[in-house]
Amino acid sequence: MLTRIAGGRVVDPQNRRDAVGDIWMCEGRIVAPPEGGRANREFDASGMVVMAGAIDIHSHIAGANVNTARLLLPEWSRAYAPRPARTPLSALGWSTIETGRAYAAMGFTTVIEPAVAPHQALHAHLELADVPIIDKGLLCVLGNDDYLLRLLRDKAGASEIAAYVAWSLAATRALGVKVINAGAAAAFKANVRSFSLDDLVPGYGVSARAIVKALQRAVIDLGVPHPLHVHCGNLGLPAGADSVIATIEAAEGLPLHLAHIQFYAYGQDGEKKFSSAAARLAECVNAHKNVTVDVGQAMFGQTVTISSDVMRQFGAMGLASPKKWAIVDGDSNGGGIIPYNYRESDYHNAVQWAAGLELFLLIDDPSRVFFTTDHPNGAPYTAYPDLFALLMDRDLRARWMERLPKAAMAMTTLASIRREYTLGEIALMTRSAPAKLLGLPDRGHLGAGAKADVAAYRLGPDKGATLRAAALVFKDGDLVVRDGRALAGHLGRALSLGIAPDAAIERRMDDYYQSRIGLGAAFMKVPAHALGPADRFESVPCR
Amino acid sequence: MAQSSIGGRAVPLPDAIDEAARLIAKSRRPLVAGLGADIAGARAALRLAAQIGASFDHMHSSWLLRDLDVAREHGVMLTTPGEARLRADVVLAVGAGLAEAGLWHVWPDMAANASAPGAAAARRILRIDAEAGDGVGFEAEAARDGAQINASFVAATLSEALALVRARVAKRPVRLGAARVAEIDAFVAQLRSAAFGVAVWSAGQMNALSLEMLCGLVRDLNAATRFTGLALQPGDNAAGVLQACGWTTGLPMRTSFGRGDADHDPWAFEAGRLMASGEADCAVWISAYGAPAPNWPRKPPLIALCGDGAVFAMPPSVEIRVGRPGVDHAGIDYCARAGTLSAFAAERPTDAPSVAYVLDQLSSALARGAPC
Repeated sequence: MLTRIAGGRVVDPQNRRDAVGDIWMCEGRIVAPPEGGRANREFDASGMVVMAGAIDIHSHIAGANVNTARLLLPEWSRAYAPRPARTPLSALGWSTIETGRAYAAMGFTTVIEPAVAPHQALHAHLELADVPIIDKGLLCVLGNDDYLLRLLRDKAGASEIAAYVAWSLAATRALGVKVINAGAAAAFKANVRSFSLDDLVPGYGVSARAIVKALQRAVIDLGVPHPLHVHCGNLGLPAGADSVIATIEAAEGLPLHLAHIQFYAYGQDGEKKFSSAAARLAECVNAHKNVTVDVGQAMFGQTVTISSDVMRQFGAMGLASPKKWAIVDGDSNGGGIIPYNYRESDYHNAVQWAAGLELFLLIDDPSRVFFTTDHPNGAPYTAYPDLFALLMDRDLRARWMERLPKAAMAMTTLASIRREYTLGEIALMTRSAPAKLLGLPDRGHLGAGAKADVAAYRLGPDKGATLRAAALVFKDGDLVVRDGRALAGHLGRALSLGIAPDAAIERRMDDYYQSRIGLGAAFMKVPAHALGPADRFESVPCR
Repeated sequence: MAQSSIGGRAVPLPDAIDEAARLIAKSRRPLVAGLGADIAGARAALRLAAQIGASFDHMHSSWLLRDLDVAREHGVMLTTPGEARLRADVVLAVGAGLAEAGLWHVWPDMAANASAPGAAAARRILRIDAEAGDGVGFEAEAARDGAQINASFVAATLSEALALVRARVAKRPVRLGAARVAEIDAFVAQLRSAAFGVAVWSAGQMNALSLEMLCGLVRDLNAATRFTGLALQPGDNAAGVLQACGWTTGLPMRTSFGRGDADHDPWAFEAGRLMASGEADCAVWISAYGAPAPNWPRKPPLIALCGDGAVFAMPPSVEIRVGRPGVDHAGIDYCARAGTLSAFAAERPTDAPSVAYVLDQLSSALARGAPC
């Protein structure tokens, strides 16, 4: 069946297209305009902006920690007694079903859950399979796991470490590897309360630097398209900026992705010894073309922080609002769930908000800075439309700043920044660049052969409203959203890396888990039938 | 034995499903209970509950919600069986019922030392309980696995024992004789000297106040050292079903779809109360792991999905024999040793239908419009 989306302004930076025209789709793919062809179905997109479906590279939408957060906060469910009309997250898709529908309504068609402990990959995949419409992938978290730390302690060679990483990726059906505060979760189990790049994990004698470099090497050697995804140490602390810069320098020119760097973009200037260091971080990112970053923008309102950085979350227990929390010393990283309220009147929160925007606006290349709130840590993903509007409109930023503490704004450069994102830059940042970063060449653009993942927005003066509710969204050529409302039916797939570990590591992992918990390593594998029909997995090739 | 029956009379499975659909279609306040099913079965049950506007409950909800309530009212620190076995140099065995809750299955080598690099050389096992508690039993079970209890502390009740210890951890005075205070302090010193201590408990055998006191104690110990908790889980895939409820609805069991949005009320949607009060006018009872049927008054129609050998006081309106996960069919459920969801194969595959299959057939029959 041939479908035409007719007469919209097509914004497709990868194919250098920004003009009124048509998009043709057939059998779930974008096709070249057929000569003299007539569409079986036609959608009028006049007055709309047409882009590829958006891709979120870092959003905590599934898995054991996310589910703990759900269960920790029953009062935020829509129907909870005493049943207020609005609860802090009533706008948020909090269940799996709502997550898929809410993301799709904004024109997102692919979302990556970035923090899944290997033992909990099956759980995360089951949740993601219940997130409808969009395609999903996950990153497997290594770097605090006993097995890897033992390999490093024993000075294992690069090939042995790569074999273990390949095995972990295959067992968990992941799309890439993330390391979260390398070594710190293991060190925390030995009662260490702060951990920097060259500190050693007690017992193992391994530094965060050695862990990050070993994983980075393995990811490159295995040809995993997505570079090692790093959550640095010292998150939220004034030493954070130095941690990010030291990690970037440690990458020595090789590809590395640094997650939610807003949470590190702090200095110690001013009366309150808390200032924005975003300009310094942006300068460092601009100078190192080998790295990509995402922002993890903070927006005001109630949220819940969900992090596998258990050391950081333990340290933040006193900030819990409402006052409850879960701290898990899990296998590998574990994690912590701390509800948190970002307040406009709060000096620190205002600095955080400004620092995130500074990063977006001071990093020159929109294909190296990614659009995230680290959902739900900086803000729920439902805050995205407001954030798009802030990036595209300096007057709107000025109006927001008027409401915030002046002392906080004085500790940032935001007021001096005139840059406004164009629609083309938004498309680059949320479509083509993330597809490239994840190794998904048939996504993020509208050229012939691409997946027919398309979002059309009705342009209005209120940019946030425009982007909040897409007029039309197609997933694999199926109409899945009309006028901001998700339609039932489309299930979406799980993207996983095509990688096959060797037999020797299979045996070693079996032996390891037999001796540790009396189970073969199969206990943690995600079998092909896990999600029902086998075609719910889509294989992404290594390089 | 009949594979499915209506009122005790053997019928083919499709007839049983049609009859179940008919009973559900004419009910106004249906209940999906038991929920002893693998993950696929639980997801099917939740889909069915949403479709028919039912409330749902698990047979072990009281236990699960006791653990969950501490987290959602205060806070918890937890670990997994794997990490506990790898790193714990001090085990604090709390209260009664640990063996029944599978402690020795989850942690058969407690007598061995922590194997993590850098862990303390010798593991110590401490016990805290009520005077009339299960000390002798616990000691005997531990001895069977070669483990010795290094120190015990008891008081009139478990809550009191925990409160006394917690007070002394916080260096608060307690109005007791010097000898008793010295006894408490000696026990506290054992806890404080842990490098990675793990308190292990079964909420199935604890009251809410004791559990809250225990979680507070664990938290307080972390001011100076590391201590965490291992909450033993009930059977019948209760922990797995809780997870599936969480991601599907945002809420645990004892939730209802009766008003559209998922509505959680641990009192209102408790299955036993709904049946005893007559509020539920049709119940689906699911028990694929062999847990016995409840002793409900059989007023409303009961549709039972259960394994071989299930015994009911009176035959259910509709009874459908289902396969046991892991024996008759493959699937996914909560693995106690791993502390996470895990896939399993069938030990000896049969063609006994799974809970998911039967419930999906039932959903389809309802969607078609059951004959009345």
